[in-house]
Amino acid sequence: MSLMPLFFYLFSVLALASAVLVIVAKNPVHSVMFLIFAFFNAAGLFILLGAEFLAMVLVIVYVGAVAVLFLFVVMMLDVDFAELKSGFVKNAPVGLLVGGIVLAELALLFLAQDLGVSGQSVEAVADGIAAATAPVLPGEGLTGGAPVAGEVLTNTEALGRILYTKYAFFFEVAGLVLLVAMIGAIVLTLRHKDGVRRQSIAEQVARDPKTSLEVIKVAPGGAVIPTGDDAP
Amino acid sequence: MIFKAIVFLPLLGALIAGLFGRVIGARPSEIVTTGLLLFAAVLSWIVFSRVGFDHEVARIPVLRWITSGELDAGWVLRIDTLTAVMLVVVTTVSSLVHVYSIGYMHDDDSRPRFFAYLSLFTFAMLMLVTSDNLLQMFFGWEGVGLASYLLIGFWYKKPEANAAAIKAFVVNRVGDFGFALGIFGIFYVFKTINFDAIFTLALDVAKPDHADHTIQFLGGTFNTLTVLCLLLFMGAMGKSAQFLLHTWLPDAMEGPTPVSALIHAATMVTAGVFMVARLGPLFDLAPTALQVVTFVGALTAFFAATVGLVQNDIKRVIAYSTCSQLGYMFVACGIGAYGVAIFHLFTHAFFKALLFLGAGSVIHAMHHEQDMRNMGGLAPKIRFTWVMMLIGTLALTGVGIPHLIGFAGFHSKDAIIESAFVAHTAYNYAFWVLVIAAFMTSFYSWRLMFMTFHGNTRAAPDVYKHAHESPSVMLVPLAVLALGAVGAGVAFAHYFIGNGAEAFWGAVFEGSPDSAGDAHGAAHDFPEWVAWSPAVAMLLGFALAWLFYVRNPSLPDATARAFPSVYKFLLNKWYFDELYDWLFVRPAHWLGRVLWRIGDGRIIDGLIDGTAATVGWVTGRIVKLQTGYIYHYAFAMLIGVALLITYFMLGGGLSR
Amino acid sequence: MFEGPQSFAPIIPEIILAIGAMVLLMYGAFRAPSENLGRDVGWFAILLFALTLGYLVLQPASSSFLFHDAFVVDRFARFMKVLVLVGASVALLLSFDYFARAKLMWFEIPVLMVLAVVGMMVMISSNDLITLYVGLELQSLALYVLAAIRRNDLRSSEAGLKYFVLGALSSGMLLYGMSMIYGFAGATGFQKIATAASAGDAGANIGLIIGLVFLLVGLAFKISAVPFHMWTPDVYEGAPTPVTAFFAGAPKVAAMALLVRVLVQAFPGNVSEWQQIIVFLSIMSMLIGAFAAIGQTNIKRLMAYSSIGHIGFALVGLASGSNDGLEAVVIYLAIYMVMTLGAFACILAMRRKDGMVESIDQLAGLSQSNLSMAFLFAMLLFSMAGIPPLAGFFAKFYVFAAAVKAELYPLAVIGVIASVVAAFYYLRIIKVMFFDEASEPFQPAEPYVRFVMWAAGVFVLAYVVVPAPLIDAASAAVRSLRFAPTP
Repeated sequence: MSLMPLFFYLFSVLALASAVLVIVAKNPVHSVMFLIFAFFNAAGLFILLGAEFLAMVLVIVYVGAVAVLFLFVVMMLDVDFAELKSGFVKNAPVGLLVGGIVLAELALLFLAQDLGVSGQSVEAVADGIAAATAPVLPGEGLTGGAPVAGEVLTNTEALGRILYTKYAFFFEVAGLVLLVAMIGAIVLTLRHKDGVRRQSIAEQVARDPKTSLEVIKVAPGGAVIPTGDDAP
Repeated sequence: MIFKAIVFLPLLGALIAGLFGRVIGARPSEIVTTGLLLFAAVLSWIVFSRVGFDHEVARIPVLRWITSGELDAGWVLRIDTLTAVMLVVVTTVSSLVHVYSIGYMHDDDSRPRFFAYLSLFTFAMLMLVTSDNLLQMFFGWEGVGLASYLLIGFWYKKPEANAAAIKAFVVNRVGDFGFALGIFGIFYVFKTINFDAIFTLALDVAKPDHADHTIQFLGGTFNTLTVLCLLLFMGAMGKSAQFLLHTWLPDAMEGPTPVSALIHAATMVTAGVFMVARLGPLFDLAPTALQVVTFVGALTAFFAATVGLVQNDIKRVIAYSTCSQLGYMFVACGIGAYGVAIFHLFTHAFFKALLFLGAGSVIHAMHHEQDMRNMGGLAPKIRFTWVMMLIGTLALTGVGIPHLIGFAGFHSKDAIIESAFVAHTAYNYAFWVLVIAAFMTSFYSWRLMFMTFHGNTRAAPDVYKHAHESPSVMLVPLAVLALGAVGAGVAFAHYFIGNGAEAFWGAVFEGSPDSAGDAHGAAHDFPEWVAWSPAVAMLLGFALAWLFYVRNPSLPDATARAFPSVYKFLLNKWYFDELYDWLFVRPAHWLGRVLWRIGDGRIIDGLIDGTAATVGWVTGRIVKLQTGYIYHYAFAMLIGVALLITYFMLGGGLSR
Repeated sequence: MFEGPQSFAPIIPEIILAIGAMVLLMYGAFRAPSENLGRDVGWFAILLFALTLGYLVLQPASSSFLFHDAFVVDRFARFMKVLVLVGASVALLLSFDYFARAKLMWFEIPVLMVLAVVGMMVMISSNDLITLYVGLELQSLALYVLAAIRRNDLRSSEAGLKYFVLGALSSGMLLYGMSMIYGFAGATGFQKIATAASAGDAGANIGLIIGLVFLLVGLAFKISAVPFHMWTPDVYEGAPTPVTAFFAGAPKVAAMALLVRVLVQAFPGNVSEWQQIIVFLSIMSMLIGAFAAIGQTNIKRLMAYSSIGHIGFALVGLASGSNDGLEAVVIYLAIYMVMTLGAFACILAMRRKDGMVESIDQLAGLSQSNLSMAFLFAMLLFSMAGIPPLAGFFAKFYVFAAAVKAELYPLAVIGVIASVVAAFYYLRIIKVMFFDEASEPFQPAEPYVRFVMWAAGVFVLAYVVVPAPLIDAASAAVRSLRFAPTP
């Protein structure tokens, strides 16, 4: 009896509970917080499975970037969430019914299956997964470093070995997806409005004393008359 | 070559008039289309003599069409006697209608369009009658439907014309639905759609021990050939305006009168009869289907005649008469006397076109007045038209001396009635119904004559004063048709139904146990009173009409008052339009509206600002789900998923 | 070891387009902004499409597998890619004048279209669930942006947002289904899934089927089959018209091709199961597409329902599961695309002095002001209604014939009924054009729009005379799909 099952159930229960709280929380900021918490628990589950890279990615990308962005959006937009939620109660019965049916059916489906893991301890499952990832590599067209027999690879290493070789194609297309996302974000939001002062780094760097400084001899008792576009 | 010329000359005319009509002007368009059709008509008569008398039978391939899997259909012109007869009917009437239209449509601005449509129709009809397989026939079938739609709605500024055009189209789709199902069925059973192959294979299928002898259809087991024939007959009922699917034909009278004469009297509406005759060998193997054909034909002949008794619009009377005469033809088909049916089709084309064009001449004279209650006493004003209409009426009512001689309708209609007697239907109902219908035919035809041409005029004085004879370009076609109405019966009876029939028809209806010649050959063995009964019915009808409309003109009103419910029932055409409106039209509109609301709600509503949403609160919770909000859409998707999964989880869809 | 350069030959079309898109992006970003920039980039994009098309046509007829069987190029893929490229080029051609008038001809539009096409081509060639997913996302993401491209227009933004949110939901279901399939089959490659599905016991089989249901739901969303269609009318109406024309053509073809490939190659042993789902989707789509269209007054919304209905008809062929049926699907898609693009060209020609109009009433009396356009539009509508001898009739005929042959009689009967109902609303437009009181004439159509109109018109008319090339190509394509050698 190790601590593994304990942690498994801990993370699972917390993840599910916080997912429910994301939906029912009254304050949207709380919702986002619960979302972050759910991510953390999922990351914990990944670690239990020996997938430490995925766990880290989850934390860095989802918690560090996506959820925080959500938080900003929620705080910046003046959206009346109470009004949005007004439909919630009305539609909840139907939603619960449909969701409940699907859930029950899927539960039935998985319970009825012999997935080949019943009776195994969580460690065994984790080992099994680690073992399953490792042998994918050899002889599949690696450019170098064919693993020595019996060598145990970490999850990160295993991913690294296949991501740029066997899965290079997916990687490239995923890159294109990101490119489209970038183009889309820029096209839909970038606006050049007249009359808005923008920071131009190139211009700032190109400044030198000759263009930015003017030495004026002030006559005693006289006034400085501003010139050029440095006028306030 | 000559065959291809007949079929494609009208198409050429249609293309020239349709595409370049505006460039070359109205007059050249008329001349080109009419000239080409007259030429085609001359060629048709040549073909008729070559095929009918010299027995030249041919298959002319035009194009390879569809080769998909087992389906192999080409465009082939099938030339035999049946086709030749139809070619003559179609091109002759069509060319005369073209000539007539030059005068009738004189004042219309879009004559090139009109002539293009007319020629296009003719082409489609020719394609139909020359078809060698069902697909080709279906193309022609749809083609004439389309041309008819365009021509009925030709005066598109008249709302009634639009409504009539759409009605004709929709009602015909009902028939076409059956026809299409029938074609699918035939392809399914026989794996071919070529006529000859079907006829050969059908002989096997008709044997009770054949695997395909019965078919599963609508949950029951039926005789395959009966089901197929009935489905095909449904198409014929639509096109030939038979009982239940007849409602479009009277309304189609909203189109220009030459169109009525060509499409709704002489050619397109007879396509159903042609189809049954063409598929005669198949129908002969399905006796039950033939009984249905007979019954529907007799019912239509009777029903349409009763309605014709009380109509006041001159064209509608003739339209119901057409409906009724088509019923006669189907009765002839139903008892296996295809030759007799086609003979009546042939003669009917002449005298019915004559009546329509004559009515057109009357309408022309009366400045587009169609109500007979506003006519009367026109005979002296338009003497020539009167003579023509008189000949048409004599031919339609079948005036003649039994065993001797008579007008065209006498030879063909009486042959049908006699064949009906010989065929021994239950209680001889076909015979009696047709005789009664003949009596009514006579009554309403003479009623039309008397109300229009005799007695004191009821027209407005200045209209009556200006009533004038039509130009000769309209009268010449009338004269030619009159020639046919008088002589077609005498001249061709020998070949179509007499002793020369066997040689004339050749193998066209082969496979049928009692084909044309036999049926009428047997038809000589009947009591003498049978031969006289139509003549008596005709004379009674004439006498009654004379009594009602010449001798004592107050009688009709008195009769109508005495039997108000009967009169109203007939005047409203047995309330079919109202019934269909209530049964189909309104529910369809309602369904469309409801679905539109459910599916659509309203034009885009804001995702967040969705307060403007929700118009379609019809009933219940489900409707509330579908209003334009994004989460309603998502809900619909989730429900769909849940349904599908539940279906499989409950084991409904699993095969193992 | 590392695959040699010659083995990349089959994927060169995608490479050309991807690199081309990046080059065009750089060109657009670093060239001085000018009036003609967007149009120049657009023409380059069309040139890219043409190059790719030429390369595809000239490729050898054999099937090849790349990237550890994740990517397949066979005749089916090539045929569908040609369709997609034609659809995209024509939509781009149609967009020039529209966007120029709206002052919206940004160079990003052609770039996004090229990238969307790359996504579609990856979808068409996918032989692995992961390929399927990345291709689908690449395509969808570009389409979301295109739908919202009129960012100052509320309807356009909303269309993009709706499409995006619902698309994300459908992607979620798709992924869920994929993970279930992977869980029960233990592989993501189509051939391996097929092996696992045929070998699996009953328990694992139901798991696979439920996974397949989710996967199909995701794909049904992309082809807008009922009940996953609800985004379609809103997005079609809200998006700029040329973008709608693009949506109605190429992506539908690509998603349908993907659907065919997944079902035929990954689940060949489960025909009786997926057939029922397809029949369900097909019947619903045909009926809703036909009935809901009746009440429409906006022509773009009507086209949305029309496309839903057409997809339903195409699914009839797929439901039959036979080679004849698949061939019918392929032919249906080709004819559908031509008709749709032609119809959208006509819609783009509905322009008055004060801008575009989209209401059907505005077509009143078109036959008097512009007979040739009225005639072409009527012909395309007749073809869509399936009236012989136009191409649309044959398309419907083939699918129904396949359904009858597969003994799916109820499906065929419902299909015929739906097509009769659908004929009604097409006919209504024709009636408005020919028989209603004339309204103010439209502005003369631009040359590209006229060209597309005429080309589509000639196609639907000429198909009856020369059907052989399309039929032969389709049947070769389907055969390659069926007898793809298991690697």
